Amino acid sequence: MDDAFRLGDRTFRSRLLLGTGKFSSVEAMVRAVRASGASLVTVALRRFNRERPDDDLCAPLAQIGGVTLVPNTSGAMNAREAVRAALLGREITGSPFVKLEIHPNPHHLLPDPIETFEAAGLLVKEGFFVLPYMPADPVLARRLEDIGCAAVMPLGSAIGSGQGLATLSMLQVMIRDAGIPVIVDAGLRSPSEAAAVMEMGGGAVLVNSAIAAAENPALMAGAFAMAVEAGRQAWRAGLMPRSETAVATSPAGPLTAFLAGAGS
Amino acid sequence: MVRQAVAAANPGIREFAILLSDAAAGELETLAARAQALTCRHFGRTIGLYAPLYLSNYCPTQCAYCGFASDRKIRRHKLAEGELAAESAALKRLGLEEVLVLTGDRLATADYEFVRHGVESLAAQFHSVSAEVFAMSQSEYAGLAAAGCTAVTLYQETYDPARYALLHTSGPKADYAWRLDAPARALAGGIRSAGLGVLLGLSEPLRDSLSLYCHAARLRRRFWTGGVAIAFPRVRPQSGDYAADFPVSEGLLAQIVFAFRIAMPDAPLVLSTRESPSFRDGMAGVGISKMSVASRTTVGGYAEGAAASSAQFEIEDHRGVEEFCAMLRAKGLQPVFKNWDAVYRAAHA
Repeated sequence: MDDAFRLGDRTFRSRLLLGTGKFSSVEAMVRAVRASGASLVTVALRRFNRERPDDDLCAPLAQIGGVTLVPNTSGAMNAREAVRAALLGREITGSPFVKLEIHPNPHHLLPDPIETFEAAGLLVKEGFFVLPYMPADPVLARRLEDIGCAAVMPLGSAIGSGQGLATLSMLQVMIRDAGIPVIVDAGLRSPSEAAAVMEMGGGAVLVNSAIAAAENPALMAGAFAMAVEAGRQAWRAGLMPRSETAVATSPAGPLTAFLAGAGS
Repeated sequence: MVRQAVAAANPGIREFAILLSDAAAGELETLAARAQALTCRHFGRTIGLYAPLYLSNYCPTQCAYCGFASDRKIRRHKLAEGELAAESAALKRLGLEEVLVLTGDRLATADYEFVRHGVESLAAQFHSVSAEVFAMSQSEYAGLAAAGCTAVTLYQETYDPARYALLHTSGPKADYAWRLDAPARALAGGIRSAGLGVLLGLSEPLRDSLSLYCHAARLRRRFWTGGVAIAFPRVRPQSGDYAADFPVSEGLLAQIVFAFRIAMPDAPLVLSTRESPSFRDGMAGVGISKMSVASRTTVGGYAEGAAASSAQFEIEDHRGVEEFCAMLRAKGLQPVFKNWDAVYRAAHA
């Protein structure tokens, strides 16, 4: 059975996306990307540096075969800034994808739903496959789907926090109701959390800090790749039902005994 | 109590005060480990780099501790247009993309328009330009933001009004309250981030650190989209031979940095070349997330040939960019030259 990950007008082999900030070196980042087998990697436009190759995250990623770059608009405080950054990112990389990030607060970096919605509409009209980083809000997810986003990227918890799936119940609603892939982004710490997202039908996961801040980033990247694959296979295989109720008996007999013959 | 403060999930002023205590000084290694983990969590294994660029060292103010104070018999200079271009080109050759412009206090010959023009010129060359200049009005800060300034650094020097009055006897900077409110005016005027600090050595350091924490926390509550960064300058030898009345040891300085990192984990913490190579090497990534490099504290210090002025203060870390970056890389830290893009500035043009 074909289980390719469809996003925009493309299909991808891996359902693990990698973020590329926070690594100890460009070389460590490239090793982690290779070890992850990721097909899609995000890279912040503000970390593009054409004037100093050893400070540039873009060119080394573009040289990795089989990897599609997804420029992100990290640093943008509002829709106008994000749109400009997206256009420049496309001009430089040629990628039709953009990870739309608008976080007005530079400390907690939580996404602005209002500006994100506005920018998403503009970028869809510009022909982008828009992947908006967003709060885990099922209503906003449907709004973003309705205006033509290629996927939604809700946060599992605050970016870089390693607090895992703090928004689990909202993610479940989003995954259940979405007609586009739900890519859980931000906050993941361990491969088991990535597996959990995939087991419940998530389209993909994006990981950065958990890999970049690991003692051995490349090894951790491989671990996330296996976890995403395992979780995806588990979802496809169909988990056995979990019994949520006890078998009720009591000396007085079944609670529904009074219904005997009621229907006859 | 110290261990609880170190591990607190939502640290605040109470935890910060505990982390500054003598008891915490005895647990410095514990503080350092937590500070390193939090720095890595929020900033990754990276150190942001910047360099200062002095536009002028003329100054009408008498700050007791400053080599540029008006009563110092020193060489003074103000960059002419061509000299600014030469300085800018020299910094670009070093690969730097974040530049911090500095001047003395406000003067008719080095006024708001002079600073604004300097920022605008540099913004055409560098992705990120910030300013450490005199306190301005909100409309002036708005003009600076429009010219391309993303951040303003303004140290209160000391939050003790009595000590402040003693150390700033004349000139515009003698107005404590005007200076205290300047970071708020900057953020209100559209500057993205305010850099705060005290000049350690001028006053009781723990009291000043607590006040600094409160100032930063208040700005963050008041301006929800504003960034707040903290720097940790210590009094350095300068032409006036002012000696710190409240000397701060490297141990205490490290403790103050760790306390800020633990109690305000997502704020950029900055350390300049005022400090020694060994101290800077030890603090990189252990609380500190941003550092200046290859700094000159003279006017015209980067371009070839001798600087046209005396220095504001003596720097301790004279390493060049490549040597400093080699140290960072050896420690498993990635030097980041560019962490901003002019496209965000152009969005407002």
